[in-house]
Amino acid sequence: MRLSRLGWLLASFAVAALLVWGWQLIADYKLVSPVFLPGPDRAWGALVKGFSTGDLGVKLLATVERMFWGWLIASLIGIALGAAIGTSPRLRAYLAPMLEFLRPLPASAMIPVAIAVLGLSNGMVLAVIAFGALWPVLLATIHGFSAVEPRLYEVGRALGLSRASVIWKIALPSASPDILAGMRLGLTVALILSVVCEMIAGRDGLGNWILLAARSFRAPDLYAGVILLGVLGYVTAVALAALEARLLVWRSRAR
Amino acid sequence: MRAPDTTVKAAAPVIAFDKITLAFGAKTIISDLSLEIGRGEIVCVIGPSGCGKTTALRVAGGLIPPTKGTVRLLGEPMAGPRRDVAIVFQDYAKALLPWRTAAGNISLALEAAGVAQSERGDRIRDLLTKVGLAGHEDKYPTEMSGGMQQRIQIARCLAQDPAVLLMDEPFGALDAMTRQGLQDEMLAIVAETGATVFFVTHDLEEAVYLGDRVIGLLPHPGRIGIDQRIDLPRPRNQLETRETLEFLRLRRTLFDFIEKAEH
Repeated sequence: MRLSRLGWLLASFAVAALLVWGWQLIADYKLVSPVFLPGPDRAWGALVKGFSTGDLGVKLLATVERMFWGWLIASLIGIALGAAIGTSPRLRAYLAPMLEFLRPLPASAMIPVAIAVLGLSNGMVLAVIAFGALWPVLLATIHGFSAVEPRLYEVGRALGLSRASVIWKIALPSASPDILAGMRLGLTVALILSVVCEMIAGRDGLGNWILLAARSFRAPDLYAGVILLGVLGYVTAVALAALEARLLVWRSRAR
Repeated sequence: MRAPDTTVKAAAPVIAFDKITLAFGAKTIISDLSLEIGRGEIVCVIGPSGCGKTTALRVAGGLIPPTKGTVRLLGEPMAGPRRDVAIVFQDYAKALLPWRTAAGNISLALEAAGVAQSERGDRIRDLLTKVGLAGHEDKYPTEMSGGMQQRIQIARCLAQDPAVLLMDEPFGALDAMTRQGLQDEMLAIVAETGATVFFVTHDLEEAVYLGDRVIGLLPHPGRIGIDQRIDLPRPRNQLETRETLEFLRLRRTLFDFIEKAEH
């Protein structure tokens, strides 16, 4: 069991290494102009240089902060609103059509509106990120709360639990797998919107770094930024998966 | 276990259904049902499907208000679920919180009753021992067999310190051996606590084996068709009790009743 997991891990690393090697070959033989496609060696060099002499670290931090706060706001609002809507069939009936209309709106389409209302500020950027990341969390939370086993509510009534206790001790934990899944999706959206906002609204961060590098034909810098975004996405996903495994230990312990 | 309630006369019924009618829209589920259950009595309720036996239990538990009539508990009209009335549901897998361990599930009842955290640990251990699950406190429901899960639910109900246990086909989903074991454990627990039991089942032998009285309901709408005393001596024994002529006679009486009720 452990051995085969190790095997899979090695195999996946091998595939990744193969892809990087292929990239290097394409760059070495200049199959694509080096102006547009530097090899992994040059991209890596730009990455190291960006961190040691440039301000890539600052940009990375700016993007991470933006993503994190936007996601956190979206999660808190999404869980609170979702709990209210999910536990009330009436609210659900009133709000569901409107939510279905708002949900598929691309959040990036809201950027001009947000700029008009909030100006080119950090608040505007956070609002756009939170708006976009809200939907997966909100809809997953609504689903989670409306799918609570009715028998458990009866148990709560029979035991004489207060309404707050029922929400805190029965509904919320029962909905938590859905909520966490929604938060995972929300985090991806938050990363995408952080980068888009930086590009469109010119806020400092990795998105802006990539855009400026592309405009001045600094291809290695551009790829360094892209690699960093990939790593960021991967690390946050792994961290969230670890948190999920910890919180939902009861699911993995089934017989 | 509980201090006797001196405000209520010994003869006063613990549960009293007074002309209960229950209708959902135009459909009458229970019609004009009157029933009194005395202190410490074990009353088993049987009847063909659609006779409203589970509904009657839910009315007794305050989960559904009757359309007409009143349910009295120790003389007081029931306004809703009460902490001294515990309900054991048939579907233990749905009635337990899967994210809480055995101990956590029992703790829920103690938390609801406002028992201080420092006292909960000992209470939980006592209750687990009482249902034969000492040492299993850290297991999640999904890690336990059906019989163990139902024991957890019973322990959670006992944590309410109930005067009345309402049991809705609690052993119906268990295999025969586990069921017999739990029947005897339940009788022992009830004898110890003196709780009054309202036990819904579709198993006639179970009803005779457990009950002091068996109420048979007739369907469409639900009403009482038979009220049979069971005078088999206690403690009862899975082999000896079930082999007595009286047991077989009672079984036959109820069997005939069900057969008539279904036609």
